[in-house]
Parts: sequence; structure tokens; C-alpha cells
Amino acid sequence: MGKRMAICAVAQIKNDAEYWHLRFQNMLLGCFESIMEQTKVTFDMEKGIRNIITCSDDLFDARTISDNGITDVVGAHFRGEEKMAQESINGLGYAMASILSGHDDVILFMGHCKESQGESRRMISNLAYDPFYSRPLGMDYHNVDALQARAYMEKSKVTDEHLAKIVVRSRQNAKKNPYARENKLVNEQEVLNSPMYADPLRELHIYPVTDWAYGMLLCCEDRVQEFTKKPVWVTGYGSCMDRYFLGDKDLASNFSLNNASKRAYEKAGIKDPKKDIQVFELSDHAAYQLPMWAEGVGIADEGKGGKWIDDGGMDKFNVNLSGGQLNGNPLLLGGAARAMECYYQLSGQAGDRQVKGAKRAVAQAATGGAGQHQAVIVMEA
Amino acid sequence: MAEYWGVKVEDIFNSMQERFRPEGAKDLDTVFGYDIKDEGKWKLTVKDNKIKIEKTDDLSGSVATMQADGETFVGVNTGNVDATNAFMGGKVKVEGDMAAFGKTGKLFRKFVIAQKEMTTKDYLADMFATIVPRFKVSEAAGLDASFAFDLGGPDGGKWTVFIKDNVCTVTATIEGKPTVTLEFNDAKDYVDFILGKIDSQSLMAGGKAGAKGDLNMMASKWPVLFEKYKDPLAGNVPQQELIVLKKTIGLNEKFSTGPIMGKFLKGLKEKKIYANKCPQCGRMQLPPREVCADCRVRVNEIVEVGPKGEVRYMDIVYYAMPDPLTGAVRDTPYGGINVLMDGCKGNETLPHFIRKDQIEKIQMGWNEKKGTRVRPVWEENRIGDIWDIKYFEIDE
Amino acid sequence: MAHKKKNRNVGIIGIGQTKHSSHREDVNQPELIHEAISLALKDANLTMNDIDCVVHGNMELFEMVHQPDLWHVLGTGAYGKDCIRITTGGTVGATIACASDNLVASGMYDIVMAIGFEKLQEGHTTGGITNMADPLWFRKIQAGALTGSSAYDVEKEFGLERADRASLTYRIIMDKHAGLNPNAHRSFGLDFGQIDDLIRTSPRLVGNLKLIEMCSQSDGACCVIFACEKKAKDLAQTPVWIRDHITVHKEESFTIFGYDRKYPVLKTHKFAAEQLFKRNDIKNPLDYFDVFEMYDPASWWAIDWLRDFFALKGDEHLKLIEDKEIMIGGKMPINPSGGVIGSNPIGATALLRVAEAALQVRGNAGPHQIPTPVKHALASGFGGTMWTVMTMLEKELNW
Repeated sequence: MGKRMAICAVAQIKNDAEYWHLRFQNMLLGCFESIMEQTKVTFDMEKGIRNIITCSDDLFDARTISDNGITDVVGAHFRGEEKMAQESINGLGYAMASILSGHDDVILFMGHCKESQGESRRMISNLAYDPFYSRPLGMDYHNVDALQARAYMEKSKVTDEHLAKIVVRSRQNAKKNPYARENKLVNEQEVLNSPMYADPLRELHIYPVTDWAYGMLLCCEDRVQEFTKKPVWVTGYGSCMDRYFLGDKDLASNFSLNNASKRAYEKAGIKDPKKDIQVFELSDHAAYQLPMWAEGVGIADEGKGGKWIDDGGMDKFNVNLSGGQLNGNPLLLGGAARAMECYYQLSGQAGDRQVKGAKRAVAQAATGGAGQHQAVIVMEA
Repeated sequence: MAEYWGVKVEDIFNSMQERFRPEGAKDLDTVFGYDIKDEGKWKLTVKDNKIKIEKTDDLSGSVATMQADGETFVGVNTGNVDATNAFMGGKVKVEGDMAAFGKTGKLFRKFVIAQKEMTTKDYLADMFATIVPRFKVSEAAGLDASFAFDLGGPDGGKWTVFIKDNVCTVTATIEGKPTVTLEFNDAKDYVDFILGKIDSQSLMAGGKAGAKGDLNMMASKWPVLFEKYKDPLAGNVPQQELIVLKKTIGLNEKFSTGPIMGKFLKGLKEKKIYANKCPQCGRMQLPPREVCADCRVRVNEIVEVGPKGEVRYMDIVYYAMPDPLTGAVRDTPYGGINVLMDGCKGNETLPHFIRKDQIEKIQMGWNEKKGTRVRPVWEENRIGDIWDIKYFEIDE
Repeated sequence: MAHKKKNRNVGIIGIGQTKHSSHREDVNQPELIHEAISLALKDANLTMNDIDCVVHGNMELFEMVHQPDLWHVLGTGAYGKDCIRITTGGTVGATIACASDNLVASGMYDIVMAIGFEKLQEGHTTGGITNMADPLWFRKIQAGALTGSSAYDVEKEFGLERADRASLTYRIIMDKHAGLNPNAHRSFGLDFGQIDDLIRTSPRLVGNLKLIEMCSQSDGACCVIFACEKKAKDLAQTPVWIRDHITVHKEESFTIFGYDRKYPVLKTHKFAAEQLFKRNDIKNPLDYFDVFEMYDPASWWAIDWLRDFFALKGDEHLKLIEDKEIMIGGKMPINPSGGVIGSNPIGATALLRVAEAALQVRGNAGPHQIPTPVKHALASGFGGTMWTVMTMLEKELNW
């Protein structure tokens, strides 16, 4: 059982604007086969996979019980399967609990989302708000994020130019990531000229609609040698829920992320994230979130996000070398994508983006508008 | 005729004409019957956006007849009895076309119990008329006392309540020497006091009321000797309005078909039915799936089956089921069938619908007995959709 | 490696549920949830400050609220807490009980609160269920969770008359149990004398599945608080221990209707029960367990499933029903709460099975408490395309 969970293998398809020719079942199947091939794991009731944790969403899939359509392609026929109905990063946290509890030794963790399937992702996130007040006002994750962006940018002296810098860097980094969505490189002026989407957020400040699927094999410490010679460990997880009504909270505050990262660091024995952690993957649904979440996980000083960017904080702390959420992952799967980049970095498989000697990494992701629910995991080589 | 909650069965029927909503009767041409136990039978004719309601023993021609006892019928119509509970529990039955009877729900506005006004005089009469029924004999053992009420004002009067030998009697005068006498300047204050709208302290303090004699008898003994008076209008207080927001939520989607389901749907366009066959266990999947769930392997081999087959199972659906993709309610009854296509075995059946008029003729098959043979009826203009097969019909 | 012993033991220390009803227009979703939570906290004599993590579950397309845990924080009390949301369809309530067990047993959290919720009156339930089918195919054909196939199976094996009477006997027993449970949604006051009448008059929904035999659509919420062994012993007089749980899913395919005895269809309830009892060394579950809270969406399914869960042979399952051994006071009381037929707020329904089983073990279920001591209780969940979750509860930590 121990105190940590191993990631034995990962598989993913390339992030794409639209897999028009595939059902999500087809998208998952390639990942499933790759995991089976890499690890030779079985579905034996004694020694194999007894439980599968998936991540998907009823509204993005437009079906009640979205995990119902994938039982066969994730191998869950006559095995257990549980759906993380929140940001995928929490699936890793829950898998860790399932393994540390002793209930399961080996867990297959898979996720899918065809964000391109629905006409409007904003219509979906609008449905996250209560039907009486916030929903008729037209709130959705983008314009709620925009309200937070305004408040945060004021507080931390983050400018439109800073956001342009973040977008340009994200796309440059993504070019080195073979699984990243293929976006055209842009310069700062193009970002500054990008149409206003939800003031102060411009079109290029917001992650593009993306289809993606992934798989990971997770295992307890005792049995890791059966599946890999090079495990990466998940050693800490924490999450936190903030208030619902925007008027009830300080929009520029990192209340939930501060708590989530504090909890994860405590479990992983991290004292100073600036020194102890070499790689950070932050779920920036919109560009302003990169410095804001950087403050939240403790690598930028509170209220100093703008200066942190000027001082080269993004590269100094190896933030979002994958391109980040900003380059394109489906909304609810950004956390799994972040964790997967950490896995590549910690196992030395990050290619041109490799951080030499990376020992520890942090993946963060948020659910809801303005980061209402935050979760953080700590991973170690 | 008995009254329930102050309403007679015939009040419900007699008010139907007035409660009728022509918009609820659009395109209806039908007859319903009502058979109310011990009360009689009524016949409701709906035609040309008009209704006729008549009391008659002849319910012939009714497409559906509702059966209930008077109390349940009035209770359901006045909201005093939960309609679903009554129906499920067998207290309300419908003989005949259940779905058709459901349409009566839209024909009428809700029945509202006439709001009765009660004057001070009405209340006083009711309060003293119910004294004897509210008397608790168990509390009166060995008691010999009389309680007098001297209530002034235009609606006032005098009453005495005697309790002796475990018997309670009331007179509309004050006689003899009462154990205690309660005096109110205005009878209306007494009514309000009993209804709990005003308290004794403020009455006494304001000099509006007083008492003579054994006060303790009135203060302590009277409340236990009688059940609390119930306001006959209490059930009539308008309920708090609960605002409910009604919304229809729609999200436009485009569902990719992928290489496996895509081939199946393309086959339908060409009047062919394709299954796929597991390379390990040989199981045929209809419609084809990406993998065989049993063997956890990719299934690529596509095999044409049918198009004829044998009905192995049929669900006759009576419940008015909305189609979630269109919102339209499916016409009932319909038959959902599972067809064992030629070329398949065991439980490898394909679900679809049977021609509506053939439901009665379908025989379900099993090991010893062949089911009815059926064939697909194809749509003229096929687009690669399951409705390219309109339905299956008997292959004669 | 065979199933291992837990990292640490987990006990149920608080239970709360709303009255289940089709008339809860007086509260919105967070308010309904809040009722259950307040009751559970009161039951456990705790405040929200004691809770480390909140686990939320329902089926979001019934109410059409995306990520409802975000809005529901107004009622869940999850503000400032760890909070996760896990769903698995109709089994979701059972799944969040399993998840809470795992979260506590892992050592990551000491006290976890599971919340199952549904306001079915806010959407169209059968339409919502049909939405689970493949949009390219079966969604156009399915009729929600309604099918007459179980009735057909039982009739085929035991004849129409015996089958019908067994189904109605089961139904009336559930109604009598629901009549004892103040929180139950529907209790009609049925009596066994009405069997023939109900067989004749209750409207058919699909095939021989009658309206009286199908579960209701309810608004309701349930909340259960789980704690690690140390805290459970400190905080609760009678913690109810979670011994083990199992989840078994099945492929999305309704093409199982063939009635070919040469190709028997493997059933998830049967498989789950066999695996669970094998790894816990339960030889005869009918003798071992003192009560079973079964997810019974319709009486036909219920009578068929009894055989699967308890590995019964021939007509043993029908005899249990006919002899009324499944009533409170019988050999194997099924659903003293009145079951799913009595109340069905779907997202809460499977958690209610665990909660009601735990109440029986604690011995303070109220009017529907089984008179004899309950040491071992079983709860089941059902959902999706015939999915199963089973949970074993114990009074003593001695297995």
C-alpha cells in the first residue's frame, strides 16, 4: 500500500481541433491498446485490472451516464468502473485513494472528450450556473473568467502585453510537444490585435475547442515492477471548493488554489515549492490564469504576477513547457494532460522540452468558472 | 348525496361546463364515462370543441370509464387526495383506453371549492353546536359544573354548558347559578379569541372581557374537557404561491459515426445489414461495436446478415414515451422487437420496431420454438440512419 | 494478489435523508441537499468543521445542471473543503459510498461526507434515461428503464399466474414496509387481498410490467458520513463498519434478448455477488446476512435478482417471496425501508440502500427496524446497462 501511487505507463492521441471521422470510442481505443501493449497488464480478477476510473462529461458527450458508452473500449465489461465527473486531475487523486486504501492494486485511468461535438461549449458551461439568477444573466466559464481576469490583472499588475507574451510562449512550447494541438505560431502584436472576446480576454487568450483522449496505468508501490521499470510517483493530492456566487468572494483571491496546493504539498512533504519542485504544469484556460495560478501554487509572490512574468518566472520555474491548457486540451481533461507532461518530464521522455534532472513536478487544474474548484497533485521521479 | 371536504360529487360534474377549456379539446371527438360508487354514472361527450355532461346509466360508447368512490373522486378533484397514489393504489381505476382518458386532464380548469364566508353568528352557532361532539367524557368523571357564556354585541347571545353524570348538554340561555360565567362585551372578540387571533390577556387588560365565579374551572378544566375547536375554513386558506421556472434546454450536437458504426449506417443506405464478428470468440455484434467487450479486442471483420430474421423478443410499449432526440411522444402501443437475423445465433439480436398493426400476430421464439419471421421495410430515401428501416413486418 | 485487507477500517457515523416526495417545489436543489446534510451532521453530532472532504453525486442530465457540485456548494457545505464528484448512473449513490470508503481507508482523509441527490420532478425522467443510449442507434428505440423482459423471463419459467402473483406479493410487501418508513415517498396501503384486482386493473407500461410494479420518480437527498476507525470509535456509539464493496459494469448493448438456453447471458448481479462472497469467504449469504437493502426498480426485476444475489436454485427465490420470508420478521428481510419502489430520487437511491442498511445495523431505523439483532447487512445498487455495486456492512470489527 504505502504512501504513493505509481504511474506505470501513459498513452494519448494528439490533441486535435476536431476528430470528425472518429467517435470517442475510437479515440479511446487507441489509448487502451497502447497501455495493454506497453504494460502487458491483464484483467484477471486476482492480479489484473479490477477497476477502471474514467473521466468524461454528460453534457459534452450529450448523453446521460457518459461512461455508459465506453464500457467495452476501456475494458470495463464485468469489471468495476467509476467516472470522475469533475476535472480529470481529481481522477488521479481518487485513484490514489483507491490504491492506498488497499481496495485496488492496479487501476486503468482513461478519459475522453469531443469538445467539437456540441455547437457551443459556452452553452454547456452556462448550464453550470443556477437556473434562476446566474444562468439567465448569461454567465458561463469564459465571461466569469473574464470578470476574474479584470480583478486579478488590476491586483497583480498584469497587462495586455503580459497576456500576449504568455500566448506567444504557449504556442512556441507546444511546437515541441508532439501531442499538442497544432496551432499557428503568433507574435505579440497579433495577440494584441486579436478580437476582444470577453473584456479583457481576447480570442487568442482563451484555449481553443479541442478533442482528446488518454489512458494511464496506475499501480500500488508493491507491484510496480510488474508493469514498468521507470515509474513516476504521485505523492500528494489536494483540492478545495470556493464559494459559488461571484459576489460572495474576492475574485482576485487564490483561496481555493492556496488551500489545494497547501494540502498536496503537506501530503508530499514539500516545504518550499520554489526549491523542491522543478516542473509546473498549470491549467490556464485563459492566459491570465498562468500567473494567477503561479501565485496560487506558491512560485510567484501574491500580487506580483506581472513582475514575475517580467522577471522570467515562466521559464525559471519551467511552467507549461507542454504549451499548457492554453494551447488546447478539452476543458475537463486539462489536468490529465498536465499530469501527463509531468510524467514525461520526470521519466526523461520529454524530448526537446526535457528539463534536465527534474525530480519533482506539480500539476494543477480547476473546475468551474474563475477557478471555483482547484486541485493539485505532486509527482516524483 | 354525501359531502366530502364540503363538496358533493355532483358539484364536480355540474361545474364541468363552466370549467371547460376549449383549447384542451382541440381535435377531440370522444366519449368518457364516470362510474362513481353509490353516487351514479356520468357521461362526458367531447366534440367540436364543446362538451356535454349528463347523468345517465348508459355509459355505452365510452372509450374509457373511470371508476372511483365518491370520497376519492372529490378528493382528487379538490386536491385533498393524491391522484397518483389513488390511481396506483387501485382506488381510481380506468377501464378502456388509458391514454385517451389522460386527455381529460387538459379539458378542465381546476375545481375550486367555493370560498365560504362565516359571520360571527355562523361561528358562534358552529362553536356551540360542536360542544357536545368535542366533549371528552374521560375527563369529566365526578364533575358537576356549569359554564355560562354571556356574549354581547349585535351578534351576541347567551349559552350554558352543563356537565353532570358524565353527560354534557348545552342550552341557549343562562340558567340557574353557573359555576363560572364568562362575559365578553362583543361576541366577535370571543370568536377571535377561540380562533387564536387574539389572546386572553389583551382582552382582560382592555376590559373587553371578564369572568365571574370559579375562574380556575374555566382556565384549567375547560381546555381539557373539550377538543380544540377547528375552524371549518382553515382548510380553505390559499396556499403560498410557489414560483416554478419552466425551461426547455436544447444543445445542438453533431455526432460522428466513426469507421465501425459508419459502415453499418452506410450499409442501411444500401439496404444491407452489417454485423461485425469477433476474431476470438466469433460473436456477432449488431449493430457493430469497436471492440468485443468479452475478449477486449478490436473487431474489424464486417459480415452481412439478414435482412430477414426471427423475432426472439418483443416489448409492447403502452407508456407514452417521448423520443429524446425530437421530444415527440411516440404513438402507443408500439412493439419493440429483437430480431435474430439470418446468419446470427444465440442472443445476437438486432433491436427495432414491428409494424404497428402486426403486434398481435408476433410469436416470440426460443430454443424449441421458432419466432415469427420478419423482414425489414425500407424507406424510399435512405440517408444512413436507423430509420432507413421503417420497421420490420411479418415475412409471409 | 488476492483482495487485500484495507489500509484502515472505515465506519459510518452519520446518516441523514430528506422525506422523499414528488412535491418539493418548496426548495431548490442546494436547499434540498442541505436538509439531508443537516440531519446527518446532527445524527453524528458533528459540524461542517469536522468534515475533511465532500463527495457529491447525481445524474446531471435529469436536472440539466452541468458540474452541479459548483452551485450546490450553497447547500453541501463544501466551501473550503476538499470536494470531488464521482458518478456512475443509477449506481452513483453506491459508488460515492465506495469512494468515501476508499478515501478514508487510504489515510488521505479522516472524515468524508457523501451526498447523493436528485430532483426528478425538474426534468423528464424516462426521457433522461433514454438519453443514455447511443445517439446513432438505440436512443431512437429505447423506452427509458422500462422493459417487460424480466416479466417474460419469469413467466416463461414459472407460468403466468405464479409469476404475476409473486411480483404483486413482492410489491405489496414493499408497500407495507414503505408504510412503516416515514421518509418513504409512496405507500398506498395495499393489502394481499388486492393481488388479483391489481393484476387485472393496474395499467400496463411495457409488456406485463404494470404501473404498480414500477418505481416512482422522487425528489430527495441522502447524506452519509464516513470516518476512520479511530475517529469512528471516538465519535459514534455504534459505528457501522464497511467490510467490502464491489463494482461490476457491463457493455452498452441491449442485444441480449434471445432466450437461447445454449447461450446463457452472464449477469452482473450474479457475478458481483459470487466474487464478493468468495473473497470474503461467505459460504451461504442467505444465512449470513440479516438484512438486504436491494436496489429494486421494479418488482419483476427484484424477484428475478434475488436468485442472482443469493445464488438460489430453482424456485427458491419465489418461495422466499410467497412465504413472505422477505418481510420484516422473516428469514431474509428485503428493503425494510420500502426500497426503490417506495422512493426513487435516483442520485440518492443507491446511497439510501447503504444508509438504510446501516440504520438496521445500528438498530435505530425507527418503525421499520427489524426486531431481531442485525449484525451483517448487504446493500446493492443498480444502474447503467445492468450495472451492479454491492456493499457489505458489519456491526463488529471481527471479520
